[in-house]
Amino acid sequence: MRAIDRSLASCHTCGLLLQLTPGKHTSCPRCGDAVHLRKTNSIRNTWALLLAAIAMYLPANVLPIMTVTSLGNTQSDTIMSGVIYFLKHGDWPLALVIFTASVLVPLLKMLALTYLLLSVQRKSPLRKNQRTRLYRITELVGRWSMVDVFVVALMAALVQVGELATIQPAMGAVAFASVVILTMLAAMAFDPRLIWDNHGVHDGNT
Amino acid sequence: MNLPAGSIGADAALVACHECDTLHRLPALRPGRTLRCGTCNAVLLDYPKGGLDRPIALYLAAAILFVFANVFPFLTLDIEGREEMTTLLGASIALYNDGMGELAVVVLITSVLGPALVIASCLYVLLGVRLRLQLPGLRTTLSWVSHLEPWGMLDVFMLGVLVSFVKLAGMATMHIGLSLYAFVALIFVYAAASAALEPQLLWYKIGLRREAAHASH
Repeated sequence: MRAIDRSLASCHTCGLLLQLTPGKHTSCPRCGDAVHLRKTNSIRNTWALLLAAIAMYLPANVLPIMTVTSLGNTQSDTIMSGVIYFLKHGDWPLALVIFTASVLVPLLKMLALTYLLLSVQRKSPLRKNQRTRLYRITELVGRWSMVDVFVVALMAALVQVGELATIQPAMGAVAFASVVILTMLAAMAFDPRLIWDNHGVHDGNT
Repeated sequence: MNLPAGSIGADAALVACHECDTLHRLPALRPGRTLRCGTCNAVLLDYPKGGLDRPIALYLAAAILFVFANVFPFLTLDIEGREEMTTLLGASIALYNDGMGELAVVVLITSVLGPALVIASCLYVLLGVRLRLQLPGLRTTLSWVSHLEPWGMLDVFMLGVLVSFVKLAGMATMHIGLSLYAFVALIFVYAAASAALEPQLLWYKIGLRREAAHASH
């Protein structure tokens, strides 16, 4: 038995289970937030945030995230050049970490959300458990992509020694941070319960 | 304690899974046990040991470590005798000074402001509930915590420190400041505090708003 079959909604903020009256606005008597059966406009909002993230993904990877000026030489660093730097210096574990966090995770996250949205819109009855797990992982790992933004901030803060060396953040870092934030917001806007909805009232779940 | 009749609004013993919407009748749960959804395996309720005292102690420790992590030098860089020092806040300030205001705000929220607000809010609510004080805004503060928590990224920041450290080690000598040690300790204490606190338990103890509780009787 599922809550929606009995018009029961749990509050998104505090989890309180409430009986909804159709067409009537309900606010949670415990935490005060608005209560809905499902996150409002979940599919539309998730698509919007996801498409915005996809649009930012290219500039995030192409534009330099920082410029390094050292003894008169200026050099621009992109996300990938950071990975290549570590590979060249034989630091492949670190190269792998950066590549996973900055390139692979955002890409897989956007693919996962696209797949989840399409499967929900097609009302797919398949692999509900795996899709729920996919959503859970997507929500969990997204924040680790922020690591490159922190690297840029720390290096910019530390390397300010005038003519010897200066590191300045560049627009790629802004685009990259937007990708991370937009995909996080997209994952938050998605309602995993939609995966389990609309397959007939009784489908073997208790 | 028979826990938690969280769902006072509809049926006292029912709770719906937040990931698949399956209804569950809550069993009596002992501290240290976790209740998972039988359909999708999501964690429905984590009932930590140590009552409210353990998260209070851990969040107090986190608050002290947070102060230490912010007032001393974080990292010092030494290039041919010229030293450059940064604090935790310095990372955000550097971005701001370089004309990257938006990015400075993002780093400020994820590395300093977010965790600070979570620590302060949790302590406020925990102490209010534990000492049975009628503090104003308990509900609002607790609902903030759930919205704020995903944006606190101390652990990710630490990975960033590690990467910067290796990157800069080639061109300069790095010195670890006192604040960095405090920061590393903070990450562990913060994670332990978060694990020791089940917000649903606090919501249950706070209960319904007075007017709503009256209306339901």
